[in-house]
This record gives sequence, structure tokens and C-alpha cells, in this order.
Amino acid sequence: MSDERKKILDMLQKGRITVEEAEKLLAALDSPDEAKSTVEKPACKYLRIMVEPGPQSEDRDRVNIRVPMKLIRAGLKFAAFVPKHAHASINQALHEKGIEMDFNQFTQQDIEDLVSQLSDLTVEVEGKEKVRICCE
Amino acid sequence: MIPMLMRLKVSRNPKGHGILLPVFLVWILLFALMLVLLPFVLLAALCTWRSGHGKWLLLTYPMLISVLFSLSGLHIEVEQPDENILIAFL
Repeated sequence: MSDERKKILDMLQKGRITVEEAEKLLAALDSPDEAKSTVEKPACKYLRIMVEPGPQSEDRDRVNIRVPMKLIRAGLKFAAFVPKHAHASINQALHEKGIEMDFNQFTQQDIEDLVSQLSDLTVEVEGKEKVRICCE
Repeated sequence: MIPMLMRLKVSRNPKGHGILLPVFLVWILLFALMLVLLPFVLLAALCTWRSGHGKWLLLTYPMLISVLFSLSGLHIEVEQPDENILIAFL
């Protein structure tokens, strides 16, 4: 038995961790690569939006925007300033766009979860213009 | 960290470097203005506390400061055939 396993079982015996926690730790020991890949995921610092002209585009405009994630988080906090009587209009507008979401139930934790999940986001659209949205 | 400089470029030459603006001077003026307005904001917050708006008035200050402190790293660049625009907070 390895030292790590002994330590986990020792912590379980002393009541420092629960059975579920011990089970998770033992599972992580069995698949260390998988555990590392979830832990060592680099944090997303910026949201990058790039628009470039496509091969058939007559428009030669290029747009390159880099928005710090901290700014997105800070900006989203302003959602709390939306007056309650406007919530129904927002819900209606979201419904018309096919998004079934209740703005009244939108909490700060939801915003935090939403922003943290942006690190996995990569959008690439190639049409008249090439649009790329990603995290870096 | 609050951005101290802003790089601004509005030119026809894509290789131009633009100008560096000392935005910390703007922040000093802004913070001075916020300090002057603070008693009035507190008074307004007290008067409107019962209606529920007071809380949001008080939160305006920390939220505004958090936005200013998050501006560092913001980079907006638009290249057009006849003009280039760049705004970057350093």
C-alpha cells in the first residue's frame, strides 16, 4: 500500500475527512493524469474577439478586442442595478430570442459560474467575415 | 492594478505608435470628485433607504472602483483601409 493511500485512510480513521471525500481522493490516486488535467487548467485572463475579412469580403475592416475577465465580472455586477419592473421586459426579450431564462432567478453565483465557464469557450465562424471568440 | 496610461492611436498609418495619455491624472480628478460627492451620496442613500434604492446608491462607489481597477489590459483595435483606431489601457 502506498504512503498516499495510508495517509488518506489514516485521515478517514481520525475523522478528518468523510467517507465520500476519502473515496474521491482514492479515485484521484487511481487516475492521477485525469486529476491533474482538471486541477492544472490555466485560468482565463482575457476574452479575445477577432473579426477579419473573409476571402470573398469586400470590406477590409479588422477588429481585435481583448477584454480582461475581471472587467467582465465587474461589469456583470451592474446587472444588480436593473430595476425590478424591467425584469419582465428582459424575460420577454429573452423568450423572443429562444432563451428560456428567468432574470429574477439570476444570482451573483450564476454570473460567477457563467464567467468561469467562459474559459472553455471557443467560437469560430467563417462566412463573409472570419469571427473568432476565445479565451486566453 | 488601476491603469496609469492609455495608448490612443487614430491615424492612417498602421505602423504608427499613437500617443500615451497619463490617465492617472483623470483618476485623481475622478476620486477627488467622488470624495466631494460622498456626503451627498450618503445623504441620498439614507433618504431612499426605505424604498430600497439606498443600498444600490452605496454600492455605486465600490462597483465603479472595481470597474476602474479592471480596465488594465483592455485593448480595442479597429483597422479600416483609411483609418486605424487603437485604445489600450496599460
